[in-house]
Amino acid sequence: MDPSETERSQSREWRRETRVNVGPAERKASVIGGAALAVSGLRCISKRNYASGLAMMLAGGMFLYRGQTGHCGIYDAMGVDTVHTHNSALTIEKAVTIGLPPNEVYEFWRNLENLPRFMRHLESVQVTGARTSHWKAVGPGGISAEWDAEMMEDVPGQQISWHSVGEADVPNKGSVEFREAPGYRGTEVKVTIDYYPPGGGAGRAAAKLAQGINSQQLEEDLKRLKQILEVGEETTARRTVQ
Amino acid sequence: MRAVCWHGKHDVRVDEVADPQIVSKGDVIVKVALTCICGSDLHLYNGYVPTMKKGDILGHEFVGEVVEAGSGVTRFHVGDRVIVPFPISCGVCWYCKHELWSLCDNSNPNSWMLEHLYGDTGGGIFGYSHMYGGFSGGQAEYVRVPFADVGLEKIPDGIPYEQVVLLTDICPTGYQAADNCNINPGDTVAVWGCGPVGLMAMMSARHLGAERVIGIDRFPDRLQMAHSQCQAEVLNYEEVDVAEALQNMTGGRGPDSCIDAVGLEAVGTGIEGIYDSVKQTLRLENDRASALRQLTKACRKGGTLSIVGVYSGFIDKFPMGAIFAKGLTLHAGQAHVHKYLPHLLKLVQEQQLNPSSIITHRLPLEEAPRGYKTFLNKQDACIKIVLNPQAQGAAATPGSEQASAG
Repeated sequence: MDPSETERSQSREWRRETRVNVGPAERKASVIGGAALAVSGLRCISKRNYASGLAMMLAGGMFLYRGQTGHCGIYDAMGVDTVHTHNSALTIEKAVTIGLPPNEVYEFWRNLENLPRFMRHLESVQVTGARTSHWKAVGPGGISAEWDAEMMEDVPGQQISWHSVGEADVPNKGSVEFREAPGYRGTEVKVTIDYYPPGGGAGRAAAKLAQGINSQQLEEDLKRLKQILEVGEETTARRTVQ
Repeated sequence: MRAVCWHGKHDVRVDEVADPQIVSKGDVIVKVALTCICGSDLHLYNGYVPTMKKGDILGHEFVGEVVEAGSGVTRFHVGDRVIVPFPISCGVCWYCKHELWSLCDNSNPNSWMLEHLYGDTGGGIFGYSHMYGGFSGGQAEYVRVPFADVGLEKIPDGIPYEQVVLLTDICPTGYQAADNCNINPGDTVAVWGCGPVGLMAMMSARHLGAERVIGIDRFPDRLQMAHSQCQAEVLNYEEVDVAEALQNMTGGRGPDSCIDAVGLEAVGTGIEGIYDSVKQTLRLENDRASALRQLTKACRKGGTLSIVGVYSGFIDKFPMGAIFAKGLTLHAGQAHVHKYLPHLLKLVQEQQLNPSSIITHRLPLEEAPRGYKTFLNKQDACIKIVLNPQAQGAAATPGSEQASAG
C-alpha cells in the first residue's frame, strides 16, 4: 500500500494558525475517533434511531472539526494549548535503533545519494562537490522542489549535518547523530530536520510539499533505513513484481 | 489462482486473482495443501479489525509444497513440504535474535499505523489486515512467503499435512499460553474458551505437568471435547458463577494460572454482557472484557494471567485493583511460533501430542464462505475447519479421507 494514499491527517503546524491549540497526535486521534463516531451515527440513523444517531454525528463532527483545524473551542475556553509553538520552522525529530555498529550506519548515510532509498519524499540527491549536493523532492500531485545543500558537520561515526543554500524552494536544515546503543543493540540514530516553508501564494506548492514531510513520514523513512541495513532491502507485502 | 477474499463484514468470497511471484530473493512460493480458518479470522469476518480492504486474501494457517524459491533461499528447495508460521520474522533484528519472533522489527511495512495507538507494534502476519503488514494470506492455491529461510520448517517424510497444519498457529499459541504459566507440579490451570486455542492450551498444560486443567465455555460440545481430548474438568459459565465454582474446586485458593483463550469478542452474561455490547457497538470500547474480568477475579494470589485471545484496543472496568492486591503477573501477545515449532513437531512425531484430533470439518476451498458462517455460529459442533485448495468438487465430510502425505 502506498502510504501517500492513506487517510493520515497531516500535521499542519506550518500554517502557524494562532487558533491552533490542539497538538498533532491529539488531532490525529480526533480525526479518527470523530470519523468513527460520525459513521456509527449514520448507521444509527439508517436504523431509524434518530436521537442517538444525531448525537453521535454531532459529537463526531465536533471531533473531526477539531482534528482538521487543530482548534478546539472547549480548549479555548479553558485556556489549554497543546501545541508547542515554533517561531517559523517546522521541526521534526525521530530516533531508531539499528543493529549495526555506528560506523557502518554513518558510512551508509554519509553517501548522501543513498538517502532517496529510504526517504520517501526525495527523488534524488546528487553529490556535486566535497561538501555540496543537489537535492530533488517530490510531493503529492507531482509537485517537485529542488535545492542545493552544504554539509556543515561531518564527524565520522558520530554526526552529519547539512543545510540548504541559495534560493531553496523549501529552505531546510538537518542533522543526524549516531550513538552506540547500550547492551550490544547496535546504533541509536537520531534525526532532526527543520523546514522553513515560505509564506504567500508563491510558497503554496512548497507548503504542500512540506505537508508530506512530517514526523510520521520520517518515522517510516527510518524504519525503511533499518530494514535496508539489517535485512538488506525494504520489506514489502507485494504479491507480484510490478 | 483461486483465493478467499474479504469483501466486508460477513462477506468473504472465493475470487480468481493473480498468482503470486517471487518479489524478494528470500521468498518462496508455496503451493498450499491445507489451510485453516482461525478464530482470529472471525474478528476480521465480524469487522472488528480495522485497515481491511476489499479483495484482501485471508488466511494465516497453511502448509504446502515449495514450488519456486528465490535466489537467496538456501534451506529449502522445490518439492520440500513445509510448515509456515503465521508471524513473519526477519531473523536478524534484536527481537528475532531474542526469540521474540512475533515482535519482529522489520517484517511489518505498515508498522507506523499502530505506532500512535500502541506506541509500537509487532511484525507482519499473513492475511491479517494492513496494520499487520498487508500480506496476502494462505487461504489460496499459492502464497508468496518472505524470509523463507527464517520461518519455515520442513515436514518429515511420512507425516501427513493434516497432522502438522495446526502447528502454524493454534498449537504453538496454546503451548505458549501454557508455557507462560510457569507450571509447577500440583498446579491447576483454568482455561477460558474451549475453542481450538483453548483446547491446545489445555493439552499443553497437561503436557507441561499441570495436575488439573479446567475448561470454561458455554457450548456443551466444546466442553465435551475439552473433557475427552484434554481430560479437563469443565464449567459452563452460563450455568454457574465461574469464580465461585473455581474457588470451591481448588480448596478456596483459585487456579494457579488462568489462560484467556477468548479475547475481544467475549460473550458476557447479565448486566455486564449488555454493558460491554452497548459500549462496543457505540465504539466507546473496542474490546469486550468479560472473560478477562473473570480471570482476574478467579486467579489465586501471586498467580499468572496468560492472555492469548486477541485484544485490539481499549477495555472498560478492568479490575486493576485485584491485579495489584493479589500480586498477579500478566503475560500476553502473539505466539512466537518459530521458537516452539521444532519441539512441537518432535512431539507430534513421537505421538505425544495430537493436535489434529480437534479438526471437525474438512472442506474444499470453494466452501470457505459456508465454512466461515458455520464456524462463526458454532453450528454442526464445529471446532476447527481445514480447507483444501487442491480439492475439486463436493465437500468432504468429517472423518473422510485425509489429505495425502505427499
